[in-house]
Amino acid sequence: MRELRYRILCHVVALATMFLAGCMEPLVYGEESFSEQGRGLFIVNEGNFTYANASLSYYSIDGAGDALNEIFYAANGVPLGDTAQSMSIRGEYGYVVVNYSGAIYMIHLDTFRLAGEITNLTSPRYIHFVDDHKAYVSDLYAEQITIFDPLTMEVTGHIPTTGHRSTERMVQCADRLFVCCWSYDNTLLVIDTKSDMVIDSVEVGWQPTSVVKDCNDKLWVLCEGKQSSGSGGGESAQLLKIDPTTLDIELRLRFAPNHTPSELMLDGKGENLYFIEEDIWRMSCGDEYLPAEPIIRCGDTIFYGLGIDPVTGEIYVADAIDYMQDGIVSRYTPQGELVESFYVGITPGAFCFKP
Amino acid sequence: MRRLLYIALLLPTLVRASVSEVDTLSTAHHLRIDNVEIVSQRPMRDIGVQKTLLDTLVLHENIALSLADVLSQNSTIFIKSYGRATLSTASFRGTSPSHTQVSWNGMKITSPMLGMTDFSMIPSYFIDETSLLHGTSSVSVTGGGLGGAISLATRPTSSEGWDLRYIQGIGSFTTFDEFLRVGYSAERWQSSTRVVLSTSKNDFRYTNYRRKVNTIYDENRNLISFDYPEERNRNGEFRDLHILQEFYYKLPSGDQLSLAAWYVNSNRGVPMLNVDTHDSAEFENNQREQTLRSVLSWERISDHLRLSAQAGYLHTTLKYDYRSRTAQSDWAEMIRSRSKVNTLHAQAEVEYHPLERLMISGNVALYQHFVRSEDKNVIRQDGMRDVVGYDKARVELSAYVTAKWRPIERLGLSVALRENLYGRDFTPIIPAAFIDFIASHRGNVVLKASISRNHRYPTLNDLYFQPGGNKDLRIERGFTYDGGVSFAIKREERFSLSGEVTLFDSYINDWIIWLPTAKGFWSPQNIKRVHAYGAEVKLSTSIRLADEWRLALDGNFSWTPSINQGDRINWADQSIGKQLPYVPRTSAAVTGRLTWRDWSLLYKWNYYGERTTTSSGKTRTRIGRLAPYFMNDVSIERKLSVRWADFSFKGAVNNLFNEEYESVLSRPMPGINFEIFIGITPKFKR
Repeated sequence: MRELRYRILCHVVALATMFLAGCMEPLVYGEESFSEQGRGLFIVNEGNFTYANASLSYYSIDGAGDALNEIFYAANGVPLGDTAQSMSIRGEYGYVVVNYSGAIYMIHLDTFRLAGEITNLTSPRYIHFVDDHKAYVSDLYAEQITIFDPLTMEVTGHIPTTGHRSTERMVQCADRLFVCCWSYDNTLLVIDTKSDMVIDSVEVGWQPTSVVKDCNDKLWVLCEGKQSSGSGGGESAQLLKIDPTTLDIELRLRFAPNHTPSELMLDGKGENLYFIEEDIWRMSCGDEYLPAEPIIRCGDTIFYGLGIDPVTGEIYVADAIDYMQDGIVSRYTPQGELVESFYVGITPGAFCFKP
Repeated sequence: MRRLLYIALLLPTLVRASVSEVDTLSTAHHLRIDNVEIVSQRPMRDIGVQKTLLDTLVLHENIALSLADVLSQNSTIFIKSYGRATLSTASFRGTSPSHTQVSWNGMKITSPMLGMTDFSMIPSYFIDETSLLHGTSSVSVTGGGLGGAISLATRPTSSEGWDLRYIQGIGSFTTFDEFLRVGYSAERWQSSTRVVLSTSKNDFRYTNYRRKVNTIYDENRNLISFDYPEERNRNGEFRDLHILQEFYYKLPSGDQLSLAAWYVNSNRGVPMLNVDTHDSAEFENNQREQTLRSVLSWERISDHLRLSAQAGYLHTTLKYDYRSRTAQSDWAEMIRSRSKVNTLHAQAEVEYHPLERLMISGNVALYQHFVRSEDKNVIRQDGMRDVVGYDKARVELSAYVTAKWRPIERLGLSVALRENLYGRDFTPIIPAAFIDFIASHRGNVVLKASISRNHRYPTLNDLYFQPGGNKDLRIERGFTYDGGVSFAIKREERFSLSGEVTLFDSYINDWIIWLPTAKGFWSPQNIKRVHAYGAEVKLSTSIRLADEWRLALDGNFSWTPSINQGDRINWADQSIGKQLPYVPRTSAAVTGRLTWRDWSLLYKWNYYGERTTTSSGKTRTRIGRLAPYFMNDVSIERKLSVRWADFSFKGAVNNLFNEEYESVLSRPMPGINFEIFIGITPKFKR
């Protein structure tokens, strides 16, 4: 009996000590200070859908060297969220769109600290700023574009896009906004930025994903096309040149079947178009044919993101590697020569240049 | 640190116990005879097999537990869980959930579409016996278990007459668990009906450290004040209904007939991430499932021969909806996925003992799958809905033959061959060999080893899912071998100790993994070569402390490096030589049960080590790692018997120390929570 009491006592003491001593690591993270002056490049790392591992990286263009990773988390003590999509800059602030979280986070460009947020958006994709007090957010699933004030971060209205539930990239010519309707669609919507109403549309190729405006005020629309499975016959990807005033398609360049171009970009002067189609391709806005030779060959990598420095014309290309580890960004001269590479976050998909 | 301290504090007790037991053993050596008898009864079919058996004591611990909870606590298997009533998958020895094959009453229930099983969908109260077959040992029940196989079974009761049992559980977060069993057993036949109904709002409170709310900014938009929101788990509500009907009939010839049918009706919300800013009232993420599994079996046992045959049918309808309300107050449907699986099954088995120490057995199993999987929510620009998916049928045939021989009492040898056919494709033959040797009768010391090749054929989703299915996938090829030692000591009812240590080494080539593509969707690829190796340790003891006091301790530990040894995708690839994401290197669990008369106190401790969330294995990052996991649960039970009924009263405390944690990134988990159970078993005249 004495031995029994001894054993029970040992267990009680051990349990009590366990209770009093420590526990799992706390979930809360502290905040770090940053002060990144000068020109820089934000890299939006999408992360994986439903994995909540999106992040933001920052690379000092003038300083070069390695990128700062997970800067949003480090500066704010909270993660960026799930599936980051894009980032835009207006004035002193950056606006990061986090698709699956349904949020837009406004941050200070030098400290990366939170400056505002909009939440409960259905599936936000890209931001277009109309002026200091009006911006549009496209949406992958809602048949509407959300209007918000980028200074107060308040939602001020919506533009119904009836029949078109996947709005994507946008570009503005005078008072007319052109919006790609991407998923299972073939429309370029025209919105009056004064009345905030859809006023017209253009039938383009299947799944228009990117639209830009060149130095001649012409629109270029990149359409992904579709494979022959699913809803019937296939359609090749296309690059269209459109007059924003007449809405006439002035040039239609078709890609070879099963080619899937993406990430149509312009250089700072609006003279050259860039896009990914396995390799990196460049063509002049005056060209009437697709380029024959790439400017950067992909080799054994799969290019996922593309950015053109608006000042230097340097080319930044993102490689997600296996999409489950830190991706890598390579910086090339405008002639396509490698300058350096640096690791960023998981699935780097979009770039945003800080002036 | 706390756990080390606990062990240190317990050491005096353990040392004293060991010394006193050794002393007693030395004077009671005649008990070795009992040990010899136990070993001699080792079934021929288990020669060299690395098996963990879970009996009703652990499976029927309480009605709120799923099989995922039980496996996590009582085996070396790693369970990746997103919380109660959410996807829970099981992995053996550092492999993936798709490398774990699962059968129920002899019929494979692993989804032919997904290649895995959700163990949160299996109430442990519905299973009477669970066998975990590690590594090579899985070959004896099925092919494709590159990590292992889990064999679930229901059993008839042993008593005659009426059998009625009802248990009600009421717990935190508006959780109700109900269990009813009605059975009747006569001389030749038996019927049993079991029902489990679990409902819960599952809206536990937690502090969300992953978001800031009530933010106040100064005129320069500097954040000057914020709160971490006190939130409830959103969209985690569930209602699971399970009905299990069994019939057993013993023919005059002695043949056994049995029928088991298990119906599942589940409606579950998919809990929102804690970084999700959507208003849960304007958001729906829901999964509904209806499943029927049924097996009709016949068995004949004679002196040298055991014959059995079975036929089965399996149906699953899965509906997944993901939608959000828009500003126009209508719903934006994002995913509307529907899938149906119908499987017909037939199996025949023969087991022949031409000699006392020789057994030859074989079986043939046939599965005919019909799978229709589609997303009905793709809306074309013309306003018409487009259905994207596949509709496929596939036949799977598996033939198995084995010979087991015990040339001398101490030595057991076994060889096995399995051949699988998928559609028109034969996979290479799966060979396996086993050996065991009784090194010492004293202590029942048994040495075991096994070796095999194994192959896993791609699932129907791997091949045909739209978009992304890859018809050019190669089969996964595995090679594994293991060896270990087990012992068991028993001294009457006063003390018993058993343990097992197993070392294993396995290689899997052409590991299938889904990766995003440049075209915007995910697609499976054969990219990895994985080397998984390590050790599994099991220890179990039971000590009678005093006349009516008994302490039982069960512990397990596993060390499972699972290393990516594939080719680099390119120069920047940092994943080679790194541990696979979400697979812990170490895990352990201890269960202690202290009983006194009709009281019992159960304490459960569970641990797994730091895990990475990336393939590059970086841990000095905030989103790239998950901290080590420690969990403590306790329950106390009192049994009471009156003239007309037996009663049981149980109180359980989960997450005893109210830990705030995430088991998967951004998936909140509940803090301390409680559940009480009241059970009644009326006594009928026999």
